[in-house]
Amino acid sequence: MSDAQTTDRWIRWLNTLQLVVAGIIILTPTAWMVMSSFKPSFEVTAYPPTVIFSPTIQNYIELTKTTPFFNYAINSLIVTVGSTSLGLLFGIPAAFAVSWTRISWPAILTLAARMAPGTLFLLPWYVMFRQVDLIGSYTALILSHAVITLPIVIWVLLPSFDSIPRSVFEAAQVDGCSVTRILWRIAIPLVGSGIAVSAILAFVFSWNYFLFALVLSNGDTKTLIAAAFNFVGEGSTQWGALMAAATLIALPPLLLATLVQRWLVAGLTLGAVKG
Amino acid sequence: MSQATATLTQDRQRLELSALSAPAVIFTVGMIAFPVVYTVWLGFQSFSSTGKQSFVGLANYSKLLTDYEFWHGLWVTIALYVLSLVLQLVLGVWLALVLFHAKRLHGLVRSLFISPFMMPPVVAGMMWLVILDPSLGAANYILQSIGLPPSDWLASPTLVIPTIALVDTWQWTPYVALIVLGGLQSLPPSVYEAAQIDGASPLKTFQRITLPLLLPTIVTAAILRSVDLLRFFDIIYITTQGGPGNASNTLNIYGFRVGFEFFNIGYASALMLTLTAIVFGAVLAFNRLRGAVAW
Repeated sequence: MSDAQTTDRWIRWLNTLQLVVAGIIILTPTAWMVMSSFKPSFEVTAYPPTVIFSPTIQNYIELTKTTPFFNYAINSLIVTVGSTSLGLLFGIPAAFAVSWTRISWPAILTLAARMAPGTLFLLPWYVMFRQVDLIGSYTALILSHAVITLPIVIWVLLPSFDSIPRSVFEAAQVDGCSVTRILWRIAIPLVGSGIAVSAILAFVFSWNYFLFALVLSNGDTKTLIAAAFNFVGEGSTQWGALMAAATLIALPPLLLATLVQRWLVAGLTLGAVKG
Repeated sequence: MSQATATLTQDRQRLELSALSAPAVIFTVGMIAFPVVYTVWLGFQSFSSTGKQSFVGLANYSKLLTDYEFWHGLWVTIALYVLSLVLQLVLGVWLALVLFHAKRLHGLVRSLFISPFMMPPVVAGMMWLVILDPSLGAANYILQSIGLPPSDWLASPTLVIPTIALVDTWQWTPYVALIVLGGLQSLPPSVYEAAQIDGASPLKTFQRITLPLLLPTIVTAAILRSVDLLRFFDIIYITTQGGPGNASNTLNIYGFRVGFEFFNIGYASALMLTLTAIVFGAVLAFNRLRGAVAW
């Protein structure tokens, strides 16, 4: 074997080693969380921490018994599905119009909204929603979370619409199709996968969003993420139940993200990186 | 088709296109533009404990200048921002290079790498709260078993900022890495071939060719992270609520507490507008930098 080949193999081996180290650092905390959620209560807080134990679902039973976990989960689902639908309903036609006209300010307007700190809107929303008695309502939560989902939908879909050749639209126009009809009959079927990715990303970020529900929800409409704050307070000694809650809350976004992992990064940069 | 009908169709088309973006625009104006204008107005008001409001001009803003908590919050925000951003960019570029040379990325590996930033920051906070527990956490056990003294992590006033930066770096470095990886994959292979023919060492090639060509992508990643880091909230609120004491009281946390715990709406508005100006200032600065390093 030549020297160059040996060096080459060494470099590849070193690279794999670094990849494994990075993988371990990334995976271990999550694995620890999941593991702790299956530990018997006396072993979760054992010191030194145990790695080998007989797994139990006691923590999960405890969690559903002592907290209205399912209610929170349903609230999260209502708010997330509602805001994702609203984001798609407003975002799909807007992205199409921006892509068609090249007039980009509506898209930039929604993006600016994503860049400002949430507390900036939360203050006036709180005052406004209180005046119309909507504090604690699903309506307020869905509307506020749609502020998260709308820019995601628009910016993920823009490149998809852009990639449709203009000649397709022009041919349809010659045949007498209106713009709205072109959107429904031609454009939307062509960007189906883009819509799926944008919907999943919107769902994930709406599900994960903490701040708005912290203030705008009440006991009946509290989302899982907002309730997590209470779990931390109550669970200072109940690590098992706390980790069970954390695992369950993280599960939907992680499963969905795995589905679209290949297209995820392009979508996450909101059009800032091409390719 | 006559001239008149052509214009008519065009007008109709323009009308239809406006109608398509109208819901998004109206929603954004109603939920964002109007509330922001309202916040600006609120920033000029003072609300007494009985709910009576009065116009106080710039009093809320001049109060900022003499408010110790504001300057402290600004310092915490900037310290956390710089520390996290530098860590994430350096580690992100390193990780991107490692991933790039791995040639084929298995779907499972990619899923593993996106898992930290797809989980809710709140969950990341809960998870690390348990791992970093000063008395029973796994982190201290690892430190002690390799002969290092245990640390108070999030409970230490001096270590809380670096600790939170580490948690955020754990969560978002893979994100930076995947963005930079996208940039690496779009680099023209011809420049590498030229460097190889010239006999440049791998380090030189990285320094002279890869890094400069990659800079626009790195700056993009910096912009995306800056927006999140300057308004740092979730992980802090779930783990320390700004503590111990006020050691991790970022401007966003401080503004939130002034608004929703002390109900000082006028002053909170002034605080939030100032923070927003800082975020947009950082984005604009980085945007100019991106223009300067573009190729």
